[in-house]
Amino acid sequence: MNLQTDRPGFIRLTASDRPGMAQPVPERDIPARPWGIILLIATIMFVILVAAWEHYWRDYGATPSYQNSKGAWADQRRRIDQGEGNTLVLIGSSRVLFGLQLPVWEKAGGERPIQLSLEGTTPLLAVEDLANDANFNGRLVIGVAPDLFFSGFAYRGDVVAQYHTQSPSQRVGYWLSKHLLEPYFAFYDPDFALDTVVKRQAWPPRPGVRGFMPVRKLMVADANRNAHMWSKVENDPVYQNMAQRIWAQRFAGPPPPMMDTPEKMQALVSKQIGRAADAIAKLRKRGVQVVFIRMPSAGDYYAFEQKAFPRATTWDVLLQKTNTPGIHFEDYPQLQGYTLPEWSHLSHAEADRFTAAVVPIVQQIFAGAPKQ
Amino acid sequence: MVFNSLTFVMFFVVVLALHSMPFKWTTKKVNLLVASYLFYAAWNPPFIILLWISTVVDWYAAQKLVHAEKPAARRAWMLLSVVANLGMLSYFKYGHFLLENFSLLMSHIGVAYQAPQFDIILPVGISFYTFATMSYTLDIYLRRAEPAKNFLDYALFVTFFPHLVAGPIMRPTELVPQFVEPRKATPEMLRFGLALIVLGMFQKIVLADSFLASAAEMVYDGRGAPGALDAWIATLAFSGQIFCDFAGYSTTAIGVAMCLGFAMPDNFRFPYAAVGFSDFWRRWHITLSTWLRDYLYIPLGGNRHGEARLYLALVLTMLLGGLWHGASWTFVVWGALHGTYLVIERLLRRQFGGYQPGAFTLFLFGLLTFALVNIAWVFFRAKTFGKAWQILTGMFGAADKAAPILPTMQLVTVALIIAGIVFAHWQLRNRTLESAVAKVHPIVIAVVLAFMAFAIVIAQGDSNAFIYFQF
Repeated sequence: MNLQTDRPGFIRLTASDRPGMAQPVPERDIPARPWGIILLIATIMFVILVAAWEHYWRDYGATPSYQNSKGAWADQRRRIDQGEGNTLVLIGSSRVLFGLQLPVWEKAGGERPIQLSLEGTTPLLAVEDLANDANFNGRLVIGVAPDLFFSGFAYRGDVVAQYHTQSPSQRVGYWLSKHLLEPYFAFYDPDFALDTVVKRQAWPPRPGVRGFMPVRKLMVADANRNAHMWSKVENDPVYQNMAQRIWAQRFAGPPPPMMDTPEKMQALVSKQIGRAADAIAKLRKRGVQVVFIRMPSAGDYYAFEQKAFPRATTWDVLLQKTNTPGIHFEDYPQLQGYTLPEWSHLSHAEADRFTAAVVPIVQQIFAGAPKQ
Repeated sequence: MVFNSLTFVMFFVVVLALHSMPFKWTTKKVNLLVASYLFYAAWNPPFIILLWISTVVDWYAAQKLVHAEKPAARRAWMLLSVVANLGMLSYFKYGHFLLENFSLLMSHIGVAYQAPQFDIILPVGISFYTFATMSYTLDIYLRRAEPAKNFLDYALFVTFFPHLVAGPIMRPTELVPQFVEPRKATPEMLRFGLALIVLGMFQKIVLADSFLASAAEMVYDGRGAPGALDAWIATLAFSGQIFCDFAGYSTTAIGVAMCLGFAMPDNFRFPYAAVGFSDFWRRWHITLSTWLRDYLYIPLGGNRHGEARLYLALVLTMLLGGLWHGASWTFVVWGALHGTYLVIERLLRRQFGGYQPGAFTLFLFGLLTFALVNIAWVFFRAKTFGKAWQILTGMFGAADKAAPILPTMQLVTVALIIAGIVFAHWQLRNRTLESAVAKVHPIVIAVVLAFMAFAIVIAQGDSNAFIYFQF
């Protein structure tokens, strides 16, 4: 079946050349090339290239880490539906995701929570999801990052929805990735994907297009979604400064259209508080205890939050309308004075220390809160 | 499962290993059939029942049709197959669309009708396997094909996983005979098949998903009004994305089948080097366009009943071809545009029948065809007519309050990739990929393959579904 390369202008016939008739068994040609040698050379080159790529990223400071994928979230979420519905669950944004350390919590509190926080995403999607799931009867710690919670912004909103439509193929794919790739390859991280790397090269700016730097890699995670800050953010001043500049983009520009007037802003905040109140009411009917937590922030980020989402019109109203206890870091001396290398997240060591400090407070609130 | 997933890699390794074992041919075919059902069930297990229904209905109808003596009985069994298949397709694919439009129509004539709310999930690939099973009954009805000798061969024809969910849409005469005698890939077939898989995955994961999709999304799914540059670049990006996505799938499917020892037909023949629209449709989604030609256009009269009937058949075929792609009027308009293009081209060919363009003029006609294909893609990609109109006015420089949307990186990468695709298509427009590869030095082929495989791995991907799965 080798190709007759001496036929000039050769075209393999297709059904388009044979109207209205039975189509024969297709003809497939194989170019007369030494395919064994070609594939051998290609494989060797491929291995060398991948090894070089891996070396580059390890040299950059990356280490193999588990991806914070949809599959990983679904894996933890599934635990609630498979017999662990009475567990303590943490739902917040990135501050809770890598600010509260599960091993420390387990040591200090006697139980290891399920971590369902999603970076850049309002926790309300996951809270509403649990509120509608009769299997969940545990306790809930809800993280409040003001700019995400009160805007309803959901960078990874599809993650929650996908749990309910996850196909067997996706579950197997997640399992394979978790066991065969993620523990071994540092480059296997969305922040090091080819298109992401190409996008963040120094392209000349196009007049009229706002060059918005997307958030870079800030954390590493283990197989069960316990995450902590990436050491490069803690130790590399250049990277740390870049992370701060990325946050600072939010502080400088005009507010997004849905919050560019005080009226719109108020309506948006009220809407989110209403969502929270509805979800918590459903949870309470099943005896679920809930506590809000406002994790620390610092520097310009803290200043921005103070200005755009003042406590009196957001946090305080949230607690009052939902009739729910809350832990604001400003209210507890033991939750203040931590190091936040890029203003928004605790460093690894500080996250350990913070978790150890916050667990007794959470326990105290849960112990004192009357069961509904 | 999708080809571009770890699940498929493992699945394929197991299938390949089983197919290489010294089992009886029947056992191997049973393995392939079971594997194909697993492949399909990996999306949504309950939908496998629909696949079985479609399979059994056409097997039964074809058997009855063969043994029927009276023409009316033959016709009745054929119609049973068509009604059952199209009924299932209509319910799952067009249920919402029909109800919505019925409600709208009622409200226009003053009848308040509220359509019942119910969720219909579109079973993946239903349009493809429905057409495949229908072609079995129709070919037997038209006496173009003999029925399969046994149910296993027939069921495998319908279900064979490389073509099951997104084609190439195979005819029974193309695939059933391949199941009669034992088939196993030669080492050369296996190696070249793997090379085709790498090429297909490169098109999908690297070009379509990593570099083209986002530019189209930013403009087509964003709120801003694009100017001419953004509108054209986004539309070109989509034209590249849909080609790389779908041709990538077809190339991978052909490679996968080849690794197992089977041959599948070409589905694309360098369509962006087409000159004119009849040429385009001989190069784009060939197995669909020829299916529509053989089972719709020709039965509608084709070119056998005068010019007026021909144009009617042409436009009707393209309208239904558009609707096949999705339950939305935007797809119908896309089909109508192509139907109109084809009619105008036919009129021009009649007017200027003897005209033979030179090479440069031919190229200019090719670019004009490509530009008009892109204009039609606007309706294919836009979710609403409002958005389509916004993009079109942008493309023609008439957008109101247009502002730049795409950053430099998107402009440059899309322009480079599209230029590369168009250049490659023109280089290969009268050849096959294989004939071109046969003239390339083996080291160059190895280096290109290595870099494509490397790019696939470092692109990482997100197991994004192929665009055509939704059809």
